[in-house]
Amino acid sequence: MFDTALTANDFIFLAKGAGMTIFVTAISVFFGTILGIVFGVIRYQLGPFWSAPLMFVLDIFRSIPLLIQLVLTYAFLGTVLRLGMSGLTVACIVLTLYTSAYCAEIVRGGIEAVPLTLRRAARSLGMTWAQDMRSIVLPLATRVALPSWIGLALGVMKDSALVYVVQVTELLKSTQILITRLQEPLLLLMICGAFYFVISFPVARFGGYLEKRWSND
Amino acid sequence: MKVSLPSIAAIATIAISGSATADLLDDVISSGTLRCAVVLDFPPMGSRDADNNPQGFDVDYCNDLAKALGVEAEVVETTFPERIPALVSGQVDVAVASTSDTLERAKTVGFTIPYYAFENAVVANEGVEMADWEGMKGKTVGATAGTYEAIWLEGKVKEWGEGEFRPYQNQADVFLALSQGQLDATVSTVEVAEANVESGKFPGIKIVDKAPMVPDYVALITLREEQGLINYMNLFINQQVRTGRYAELYKKWVGDGEPADLTIPGVYR
Repeated sequence: MFDTALTANDFIFLAKGAGMTIFVTAISVFFGTILGIVFGVIRYQLGPFWSAPLMFVLDIFRSIPLLIQLVLTYAFLGTVLRLGMSGLTVACIVLTLYTSAYCAEIVRGGIEAVPLTLRRAARSLGMTWAQDMRSIVLPLATRVALPSWIGLALGVMKDSALVYVVQVTELLKSTQILITRLQEPLLLLMICGAFYFVISFPVARFGGYLEKRWSND
Repeated sequence: MKVSLPSIAAIATIAISGSATADLLDDVISSGTLRCAVVLDFPPMGSRDADNNPQGFDVDYCNDLAKALGVEAEVVETTFPERIPALVSGQVDVAVASTSDTLERAKTVGFTIPYYAFENAVVANEGVEMADWEGMKGKTVGATAGTYEAIWLEGKVKEWGEGEFRPYQNQADVFLALSQGQLDATVSTVEVAEANVESGKFPGIKIVDKAPMVPDYVALITLREEQGLINYMNLFINQQVRTGRYAELYKKWVGDGEPADLTIPGVYR
C-alpha cells in the first residue's frame, strides 16, 4: 500500500483542489448567511401569509437537488442568456442561494426562540425596533442558531463537491483526476477524506468553543 | 422626415436577423476561447501527464484547431456518455473526443469528416513465423470474449477450418497468454497493441500486421445546425493530413507505423 506512484506534485495538486473547496465554501457561506439573515428577518416580520412567495422560492432551492440546480443554472445562463459566466461564478451563485435558503429558516427559528415577553419589555422601555433587534434579539438568537449554522456551513462545504459539474476542479474532482491517472483509489480517497477532515475539524471545534463560552456568561 | 411603417419593419427585421446570423463559429472567434470536450481517461487519445495537465492526441488536435481559429483552447474533461450532453447544454463548443460517427448520433449532433480511425493489429509471439495477418491460419489464436475482435477472429478460424480459438476474460490475460506462448497470435486495437509492446510488461510479443477489419472511424462533433463550424472543421482535418501534422501526432502518441487512411474506397466523403 505504501508503494505508491503519488508524488509531491500530486499533493500540491490536491492542496489546490482543497483551496478551491475552501474558497467556494467561504464565498457561499458568507454571502449565503447575509442573504439568509435578510430573508429570515423578512419571513419573521411579514408573517407566513405575506412571505409565502419568498418562502416558495427558498423552498425550491431546498427541495431540488444541488446537482440539478447547478447543471440547469449553468445551461440557462450559458445557452439562453449567453452571459459567458465562468463555472466558478455559477457555482458561487447557486451555492450562495442554496445556503441562504437553509440559513433563512435557521434565522427565523433563532428569532422565534427569543421570548416575546422579553421583546415586549424592551419595546415598553422605549427601545425602537432596530434597538430591540440589535440588543435583545441578536445576542439571544445567535446563541440558539449557532449550532445549526455550524452544521449548515460544514454541510455546504461537503456539498461543494458537486460543483465539479460546472467545471470547477475542487478537492473531490482533483482526487478523481488522480485516481484516473494513478489507479490507486483507496489510498487517494483516504487522503481526500483526511483533507476534508482537516478543513472541517477546526470549524466544528471553533463552534463548540463559542457555544461553551457564550453559555457561561 | 417621414418614415413609413414598412420601412421600420424592414429595418427591424434586418436588425433582428443580423444578430441571429452570428453562428457558433463567429461566437468562438469573438469570445477568444474554443472549449473542447475531451475524454481524459482514454490514452493515448486523452490522459493526464505527471503534472496532471491534459495530454494526448485529442488534446493536441483541440490545441491545433484553436490555433487555426486564432483563439485560446480550453480543454473541458468529460466522460464518454457526457460528451453529447455537454455539447447540447452549451458547456463546450466542440467535442474532440474520439466519437464514432454513428447514424444514431448524427440525429442529435453534427459530425465532421473522420479525423482518426481505430484500426486493429495482429500481435504475435516472437517465436511464431508470421508474415502477415493470413499467417494466423492454422495457429492458436485468442481474444477477449465478446469483443468485436473476438467475434471476427472466431469467425475467421471457423472459415479457415483449422487452428483454434480461445476466449479470455480480459485483455491482460490475452497478452499474458501470448507472451507465455500459450497463444500464437491475437488481434487488438493498434493503440492497445503499441502500448502493450511498449510497456515491456509482456516480453516476446510483436506487431505483425493490421487486421483487415472495418476501422472504427471517429469524427469531431458540434451542434447539428452549426454548418459553418462543421465546414471549417472539415477543412481543418483535411489540412492536418495535408501538412503532415496528422502523421506527426500519430507518431508522437500511438507509435511508429502508418496512421490509418481516413478515406473510404468507393464512396464520397
